[in-house]
Amino acid sequence: MNVEQLLLTVLTYGCLFSVLTLSLNLQYARGGMINFGTVAYFAAGAYAYAIFTQDPPSGLDQYMFGFGAPWWVGFLAAGVASLIFAVVTGWPTLRLRGEYLALTTFAFAEVLHSFLLNERRIGNGSVGLSNIERPEMNWMGLGENYTFALSAILLMGLTMLLYRRILAAPYGRAIDAVRDDEVAAEAVGKDIKRLRFEVFVVSAVPIGFAGALYAMITTLVSPDLFTAEITFFVWIALVLGGERTIVGAILGTMALVTFEEVVRSMHFETVRAAEIAASTEEILTGVIFIMILRWQPFEKFGRKGERA
Amino acid sequence: MTLLAQYFVTGIVTGCFLILATIGFSLTRRVEGFLNIAHAELLGVSAFTTWGLNVGLGWPFIPSALVGIVFTAFLGLFIGRVVYDPIRRLGPAVLLISSVGVAYVIGGAVDGVIGTGIRTLDIPLATTYRFWGVRITDYQMIVVALAALTGVSLALFLNKTKTGLAIRAMSANPELAASRGIDVRQTSRATWLIASGLAGLAGVMLAMIATLSTDIAFRQILQILAVAILAGLGSLYSVLLSGLIVGIAMDMSVYWIPAGYRPLIAFAVVIIVLLFRPQGLSGRKPS
Repeated sequence: MNVEQLLLTVLTYGCLFSVLTLSLNLQYARGGMINFGTVAYFAAGAYAYAIFTQDPPSGLDQYMFGFGAPWWVGFLAAGVASLIFAVVTGWPTLRLRGEYLALTTFAFAEVLHSFLLNERRIGNGSVGLSNIERPEMNWMGLGENYTFALSAILLMGLTMLLYRRILAAPYGRAIDAVRDDEVAAEAVGKDIKRLRFEVFVVSAVPIGFAGALYAMITTLVSPDLFTAEITFFVWIALVLGGERTIVGAILGTMALVTFEEVVRSMHFETVRAAEIAASTEEILTGVIFIMILRWQPFEKFGRKGERA
Repeated sequence: MTLLAQYFVTGIVTGCFLILATIGFSLTRRVEGFLNIAHAELLGVSAFTTWGLNVGLGWPFIPSALVGIVFTAFLGLFIGRVVYDPIRRLGPAVLLISSVGVAYVIGGAVDGVIGTGIRTLDIPLATTYRFWGVRITDYQMIVVALAALTGVSLALFLNKTKTGLAIRAMSANPELAASRGIDVRQTSRATWLIASGLAGLAGVMLAMIATLSTDIAFRQILQILAVAILAGLGSLYSVLLSGLIVGIAMDMSVYWIPAGYRPLIAFAVVIIVLLFRPQGLSGRKPS
């Protein structure tokens, strides 16, 4: 097994998915919003990048738009697409609370998935778009893989700085106040609807960028890559790392990605053995998840439970 | 027109299956107070237990199905006692998220034991009957009959038996129920048994009318959620109506839009209901 390659993969994907975990951390642990549709913003970013950079359709292609734009245009478009989707989904749903919000966001993500799968004019339906444009990635002769790892680290770093900045400001304390007691926050003049909406929309943008980077790395977008599994993955990573801390969110994601990549890089003699390994991985993930939820300090949850 | 009628009838069958799949889910929501995402995985457990006994060991269908249902009921009880009971005080959000973990464990276990591929039960081929040009198979009729039977017996159970009344008391006000001498733990156990048993029954129905693959359970949770939300989370009788509505809407939509969008109808229902009438059909205030 090539250790260097494994480390590089873990670093790249770990940083990439950390962006998602950090955003979820902002939405849930700080903003008190249960978003069960994280994958949708990720997919919106990836598809926007693919559509903007893809050459116009030819031959067997069934998609309608391909603008052939340079990569940075696609990258920006990914952020904008994610933002728009967050506005469209956040505006009507954010007045819902708790499990109702979780279900609606989940439903929106499934609707988007279903459209991507069935509407061939967006991105070839279930086939997806392949050969996605990669920027010229040979920065200082480092090789593509290293440059992508660096880009992922950079994206994670910027996201981290942005969120830290937001949360350290008085604005961050307003967000905490809304989460802890909406009535009290409103009584001292905080516009809770706007605050929740802003947090929701702002935290969707880095997810869109991460989606674009993901599309560059895999050079493929298809509905299969963007299922509810990603949402659950991010949730597990968040719980694993402990909520409310930026470092925790990153460590949790790294640990989970490492675990998955190690299992994936193992060599199996038969297909059946690989199948069993994959399902063991799934079971272990679930068990760890349940155990952490049970034995972590839960002051915050306990308080919420009493009030509800 | 016949085609439309055909979709309508298929929709009723789908709806009846959804009723069976959702009642247990709603019962859990009502008594235990949270959304059990892992409920759908129990359908898979029961379907594959039945398949394993029926095809693997060569048992006749009915005993296999009974063992599958009972096994699922006790598995549900076991999970409820081991996983959910200790964390109940942490609130519905934690229980909901934990149930995702449970879904992973069950899903992974089924995947590992069964493996990929498509499976069917070893039962006689369905006989098709025709009524005025509309086809319906005998298995589909069994699903409809069982859904009706389940609806009636659940109503009788909740209104006439001691345990049923205890369940209703507990879902209305757990503290009051406890202080009036209702055994909360025993009632909770009865709920887990019944809810999981119903999931088992739905799983057997699924095995009977559809081909089985290990990812089948996850696809059901989406529709179960849609039915439960339309009914109003936690209400039981309106599940009967909303199951039929979702089933018929999904199957009849195929007449106008491509079949691939069928699951999307369920989700359109979720979004519309939550945005305009979060209390669902039942009209009970969401708790």
